[in-house]
Amino acid sequence: MPGFDFSNHNRNLALHAKGVPLPKATSTGTTIVGCLYDGGVVIAADTRATSGPIVADKNCEKLHYISPQIWCAGAGTAADTEFTTALISSNLELHALSTGRKPRVVTVMTMLKQHLFRYQGHIGAYLVVAGCDPTGAHLFTVHAHGSTDKLPYVTMGSGSLAAMSVFETQWKRDMTREAAVALCADAIQAGIFNDLGSGSNVDVCVITPEKTQLMRNFITPNVREKKKRDYKFQRGTTAWLDERVVKREEIRKYVSVEEVPVEGSGAPVVGERMEVDQ
Amino acid sequence: MAAFTSYVSSAGQPSYSFPQQQSAPSHASRAPIQHSFYPYTDNGGSTLGISGDNFTIIAGDTRSTSGYNINTRYEPKLFRIGGEGSEHKGSKIVLSVVGFAADGHALKERLDTVVKMYRYQHGKEMSVNACAQRLSHILYNKRFFPYYVQAILGGVDEEGRGALYSYDPVGSYEREFCRAAGAGASLIMPFLDNQVNLKNQYEPAAPQGLEKPQLVPQPLQRAATEELVRDAFTSAVERHIEVGDGLQMMIITKDGIEEVFSPLKMD
Amino acid sequence: MNTLVARYSQPAAHTHAYNADEDSQQLIQDAAPQLSLNFALPPIASTAQWLRAMTDDHSNPNVPIKIAHGTTTLAFRFKGGIIVATDSRATAGNWIASQTVKKVIEINSALLGTMAGGAADCQYWLAYLGMQCRLHELRHKRRISVAAASKILANLVYSYKGMGLSMGTMCAGVTPTEGPALYYIDSDGTRLAGNLFCVGSGQTFAYGVLDAEYKYDMEEDEALELGRRSILAATHRDAYSGGFVNLYHVKEEGWVKHGFNDVNPQFWRYKLEKGEFSNVNAKLDETSGKV
Repeated sequence: MPGFDFSNHNRNLALHAKGVPLPKATSTGTTIVGCLYDGGVVIAADTRATSGPIVADKNCEKLHYISPQIWCAGAGTAADTEFTTALISSNLELHALSTGRKPRVVTVMTMLKQHLFRYQGHIGAYLVVAGCDPTGAHLFTVHAHGSTDKLPYVTMGSGSLAAMSVFETQWKRDMTREAAVALCADAIQAGIFNDLGSGSNVDVCVITPEKTQLMRNFITPNVREKKKRDYKFQRGTTAWLDERVVKREEIRKYVSVEEVPVEGSGAPVVGERMEVDQ
Repeated sequence: MAAFTSYVSSAGQPSYSFPQQQSAPSHASRAPIQHSFYPYTDNGGSTLGISGDNFTIIAGDTRSTSGYNINTRYEPKLFRIGGEGSEHKGSKIVLSVVGFAADGHALKERLDTVVKMYRYQHGKEMSVNACAQRLSHILYNKRFFPYYVQAILGGVDEEGRGALYSYDPVGSYEREFCRAAGAGASLIMPFLDNQVNLKNQYEPAAPQGLEKPQLVPQPLQRAATEELVRDAFTSAVERHIEVGDGLQMMIITKDGIEEVFSPLKMD
Repeated sequence: MNTLVARYSQPAAHTHAYNADEDSQQLIQDAAPQLSLNFALPPIASTAQWLRAMTDDHSNPNVPIKIAHGTTTLAFRFKGGIIVATDSRATAGNWIASQTVKKVIEINSALLGTMAGGAADCQYWLAYLGMQCRLHELRHKRRISVAAASKILANLVYSYKGMGLSMGTMCAGVTPTEGPALYYIDSDGTRLAGNLFCVGSGQTFAYGVLDAEYKYDMEEDEALELGRRSILAATHRDAYSGGFVNLYHVKEEGWVKHGFNDVNPQFWRYKLEKGEFSNVNAKLDETSGKV
């Protein structure tokens, strides 16, 4: 049966009991929020991923796709949120295909909680599930142990208290789309500035019955400043012992290049450009 | 809320597939239990010092943290030592401390009194090298109950050159040209080794081989050093969550101490 | 009660336990003795155990306070005097705290001490030893013997036994009565006289070279070279040793310093010019062959 391999579980427990430190997983610190409004639902997240006190990724994506009208914001272990949402997304697609209906947010929430409860909290995924389906706009939280909540506004992650303080002072019933987006962005910024586990930018996703709009880097309040000095090394600064120039023709002997044409067009595939700082 | 209830197995311990040694019984004996004595907190932050021909710069961020919380965005880690009054007039020695802020304050108060007492009793200022040795002894005096700090002391020596001393928590010390301490030390120190001591840099024009000479560190200019310090901190802020908010810099010359404050990222 | 018992059952040097009043009094008297033997102690029963929990990074890599440690040192006697050589690296856990530590401590113009173990312990107590040696000179109108100096240190560390001091040091010196004399002292209280010692985490590597080549009847340049080469071998194989080779020669007239030289260029010189360290490849072709 496919699934998790537990063969090293007891060994690792024994090692840990003897004082061997467990390997560090990326990111537990995060701020994610969600808020229902008049015509839909908004979720938002910060973009910092940490490994202990070190920032592992300054601009990661914490808003995950489930289906076109259902999205998830994830906190906790980065790998767990990514794989859990991807798994549920796949199963949901199959479910939609076999039932011939649009997927519902409660279905996602139920699938997530059943999956997570089975693993008793060992899958460290803390999620905010939001979306629009034929029954309306919905917002849930799902905790790693499997418990869920249904609320008009929610926060999760290490910055949840900072973010909730914004909601508790400024949230109003029946907000407009603009007001809901601004409120969510403010809540995330409260996390970014007051929680060390959260930082960098604000990502926002607005879901209405008609369409979904993902606003990546909606606010960038933490742009890296320019260095004062130039750190370019002069050619020849690095010492070396031996040199061997390998010509392109030589390398070709060891590499086989395969041209993969895109279906329909004759042009070769162009990989997605990696995101880098300016 | 259900989510915050934690679940622990009946024994309150992980279960093993093989027999375990019985750990100390928790309820069986009624013997008094001494709770572990842990008097320290890590307040994060980072400091750095660079000494030049006729000046020393000591810098530190002003964030104070505990865990994922920010205690305050402005708590100086740099202290003027031995000056008069609350403004520390006439002081020419700066002490920086990172680690546990309360120990840092205690240490600074101690050194400050010592340097003042020296002036009252001898009618002259204490030299930096004397102050440096005294600080080492203050730290070592708590060898068996250490101050949880990494200290850097800066000033101008009797020949007018920049002087910089760095310390471990129990008083081992050394005079150096540059030193980074605290949370961001492992990010800043390699940068300083390369840019101040010119480590791993060789004469670019010379041919490769055993005779290729290493670049020899040149005395730094003050303006360039200030830029170097700022660059070191803006980089540390990017990658370390405990460093940020403000950069406090003190430049010590024969004329006294100049203080410069500039903002850093607050996330 | 436990605290009371502990307070009155400590080594002789510690009859003064930590006390708030005394502490504030000391602030006022601070200008008086530079090297006081009155150490602050935590307000608990088992101070040594607590200190170990806070500072012993060997048994627990996550301790809050990491104390700088020193590492490869050696000294040996030969017909022309004593060679003393050390590396210069200080480590705090896996972190290289410094590459420029002076591990040879000049106690006076004819006496040298080396440091391995806790850097602060060695620095402080060898400075204290220097003071005692000078006082001996003033009191008795002659230089202290190396035997006596080393015994002052041995007795001192022995009085702190079990408190957590960590040092492995060598005292090398020449006096008219003893000639060139070499002693090993460590924080367990061991004190040994001998011809040849290596101390620190890199000691085995240094012994490997030193024992193989050592002869009492060496010439001066031969002996200096052997000292340098032994430290180099240790810095090559021991990750906790490195930096610079600090070399001293103790002669009848006193000690002479023979440089503080970077290990890296020396290593490549031995490798490329003398063909030693053949375990290291300097040519690309030798290893990979292709590409």
